[in-house]
Amino acid sequence: MLGDIITPDLFASAFRMATPLALAAIGGTICERSGVVNIALEGIMLVGAFAGVAVTLAFGSPWLGVVAAVLAGVAIAAIHAFTSINLRSDQVVSGTAINILALGLTGFLMEIMYGHPGTTEAIITIKPVFRFATERGSGTFFGVIWNWFNTIVLSHTPIVYGAIIIAVVAQWAMYNTRWGLHLRALGEHPRAVDTVGVSVVRGRWIAVLMSGALAGLAGANLTLEQVGSFTENMTNGRGFIALAANIFGRWTPVGSYSASLLFGFFDALQIKLQIFRGEINIPPQFFLMMPYVLTVVVLAGVVGRAVGPAAVGKPYKKG
Amino acid sequence: MPLLELREITKAFPGVLANDRVSMKLDKGEIVALLGENGAGKSTLMNVVYGLLTADDGEILVDEKHVKIKSPRHAIDLGIGMVHQHFMLVEPLTVTENIVLGREPGRFGVIDFATARQRVREISDRYSLKVDPDAKIIDLSVGMQQRVEILKALYQGARVLILDEPTAVLTPQEVTELFRVVRSLVDEGLSAVFITHKLEEVIAIADRILVMRDGAVVGETTPSATDEIGLARMMVGRDVVLSVEKGVSQCGDVVLSVNDVHIEDDRSLEAVKGVSFAICGGEILAIAGVDGNGQRELVESIVGLRRPTRGTIELKGNDITRANARASIEAGVSHIPEDRQRRGLVLEFNIAENIILGDHREPPAADHGIMHPKAIAELARKRIADYDIRTPSERVLADSLSGGNQQKVVVAREIGRNPELLVAAQPTRGLDVGAIEFVHTQIIRERDSGKAVLLVTFELEEVLSLADRILVIYEGRIVKEFAVADADAETLGYFMTGGGGSKLAEEQESKPVESSVAGGDK
Ligand SMILES: Nc1ncnc2c1ncn2[C@@H]1O[C@H](COP(=O)(O)OP(=O)(O)OP(=O)(O)O)[C@@H](O)[C@H]1O
Ligand SMILES: [Mg+2]
Repeated sequence: MLGDIITPDLFASAFRMATPLALAAIGGTICERSGVVNIALEGIMLVGAFAGVAVTLAFGSPWLGVVAAVLAGVAIAAIHAFTSINLRSDQVVSGTAINILALGLTGFLMEIMYGHPGTTEAIITIKPVFRFATERGSGTFFGVIWNWFNTIVLSHTPIVYGAIIIAVVAQWAMYNTRWGLHLRALGEHPRAVDTVGVSVVRGRWIAVLMSGALAGLAGANLTLEQVGSFTENMTNGRGFIALAANIFGRWTPVGSYSASLLFGFFDALQIKLQIFRGEINIPPQFFLMMPYVLTVVVLAGVVGRAVGPAAVGKPYKKG
Repeated sequence: MPLLELREITKAFPGVLANDRVSMKLDKGEIVALLGENGAGKSTLMNVVYGLLTADDGEILVDEKHVKIKSPRHAIDLGIGMVHQHFMLVEPLTVTENIVLGREPGRFGVIDFATARQRVREISDRYSLKVDPDAKIIDLSVGMQQRVEILKALYQGARVLILDEPTAVLTPQEVTELFRVVRSLVDEGLSAVFITHKLEEVIAIADRILVMRDGAVVGETTPSATDEIGLARMMVGRDVVLSVEKGVSQCGDVVLSVNDVHIEDDRSLEAVKGVSFAICGGEILAIAGVDGNGQRELVESIVGLRRPTRGTIELKGNDITRANARASIEAGVSHIPEDRQRRGLVLEFNIAENIILGDHREPPAADHGIMHPKAIAELARKRIADYDIRTPSERVLADSLSGGNQQKVVVAREIGRNPELLVAAQPTRGLDVGAIEFVHTQIIRERDSGKAVLLVTFELEEVLSLADRILVIYEGRIVKEFAVADADAETLGYFMTGGGGSKLAEEQESKPVESSVAGGDK
């Protein structure tokens, strides 16, 4: 049975499951590093997912859908940026409001655009980047190796690769560029940043908008590459798991990606195990629960000692 | 030709006129000292010059040209650099990152760290301000951090260096070092504005002295034309007793007894290596030492913020070794922490709230979990009056008080609680001479009413004028004990810097108990 569970497919699926989490988590990392808590990732992702499907249905191009998802994410994030940076309101309240808004807005738009709640029509999804024959010379040793490699590494859609590239580039940028240095300083001691003549408001705005773009892209991956349609509340808590992944990853992009991969692996495993639930005889809810239990365990146990940016969540007032 | 000139600068905050038509000039190569009571408006004036605050009225001239300084960036571009009263360093970042922040060398947004490090080395060599460019700020001592602040201003190309109470947090050795640096900067053609409450420093370093009171300039003088007593009078408007009178200590029962404690620091290294001593009621015991020799950990473990790995701490015979902060307050320990902003206050709370912190569960502040705002406000107003906290109301946020007035809030709360044991770390940090006189009088009054006081400070003058008995701590061990009559600054300094050597420390270790029992017990 183990041979049926531990297949190349399981690991490939882990990467797929990890992608929306990772993109949102990296968004969360950037946002929190700048000193703004972004609990709205969930809602932004949902709006991105919807915008992607709506534009694809209207114009027939999923790539246009991706662009729409990113822009929609940026637009929603702008609300969060305005309330928390300019109006200096409580960032958790603002984020929660956006999450509720996103849920209502997408449901409402479904009604007026498609005349029904629930799920949209299916769209043409974005295809994997490479397409190599799977079973080339299977049975031989190299055939098996190739098969694993092909499935795990070469079977993915563009945004899945995109997420890995974004994680690596963001990590590098955070420690090697001006933007990164300012970002790391902003969340720790905004006044110090202000006193050397760098604008706190501008730096935080950019970070929040970037997190919106990434969460929007996460939504695009979900609908345009994975599911192929939009369902109300389809993000299903992924935005919050992404926040946990950000913390588990110690507020670094590569850390966020790795943590998301762990969550993604458990999600993939959970799905895999469901097929065998007749044999193992455990209720299916148990498996569904696993990624969330893992989140709680990770947050309570492993991350108990993690320290985030010192000034995160605190509005900055000049003078 | 003045490099910087201020004309009739006026700045009001709600309820306070912080700067009232202040004018001043600064020539090239000149050091002007700005002197004044807590809340006189010194920091406000300098924040206006640095572009952090905008004046309501008045003119600023740089190189005899009118300028409107709208932001720190603008001030930096004009060649104005500032070392703030509360440091502006990002703790998890490195020295180099902090220094180049905002002006990073490199192309296309990519920082060229090799060049950055190189430039930091160049400046630090040129002014012989030694630092490790790759150290994290959080691992540096306060004196080192200040060095980084000065380097930051120099890196930004400062011609005018504003130093807002730079010596408040420094040990005497570090002060000497800072003076050397400032003089060499002035020799290179820079100018400096130096804010301090220490009159002897003003006399030692300034070319010209400007005295402020209640937001306005009340006088100008030079070091040769005045002395400390004259300055104090100009500042406070009355005669100030620069060293308080105190009678002989009446040693009562032992209040605090510390027995062979070993304590680890945050990095799990042993910071206190077997220290024993006792303090009796009616006695002020001072622990003198250079920063980083274990006194912080020792204080934290006495007040319930850190657990010793070995040994016991007793308060009036009750074991408080494992007490937390709450239990420690309830047992009768008060604590004036050395860092008022990080440990002493909740800056986002108002003065009244800060004044009842720690006593917020008990009458008069609260009964059965319900707070009594009226009683709290009343208590706060009483403390504000008693401790001369300069503020328009008890509802002002602690954040908007002047540095010295923030300190007074902490002192008012901790002494006002009427504790059995007062643990005071740098209790007069940032206070003006008048306020120091007042706090010293309060501490002596605590002693005279039979309470025990543990004083931890680098200010040798404070040690010598307040303490009845002095322990010198060096590398986590008590290396020497003095009755105050036998001590002078020079001998203390000698032992504080390890002059007695490790030999003494070992001797001490072999017989820790006998040599450190309270004088009154013998
Ligand atoms: N942001 C602010 N909001 C309201 N009032 C303020 C603010 N900053 C300063 N003040 C008030 O302005 C007055 C002058 O404060 P300032 O900090 O300039 O004093 P200072 O001379 O530097 O005193 P210290 O020696 O204690 O540091 C004080 O009464 C203070 O309470
Ligand atoms: Mg000040």
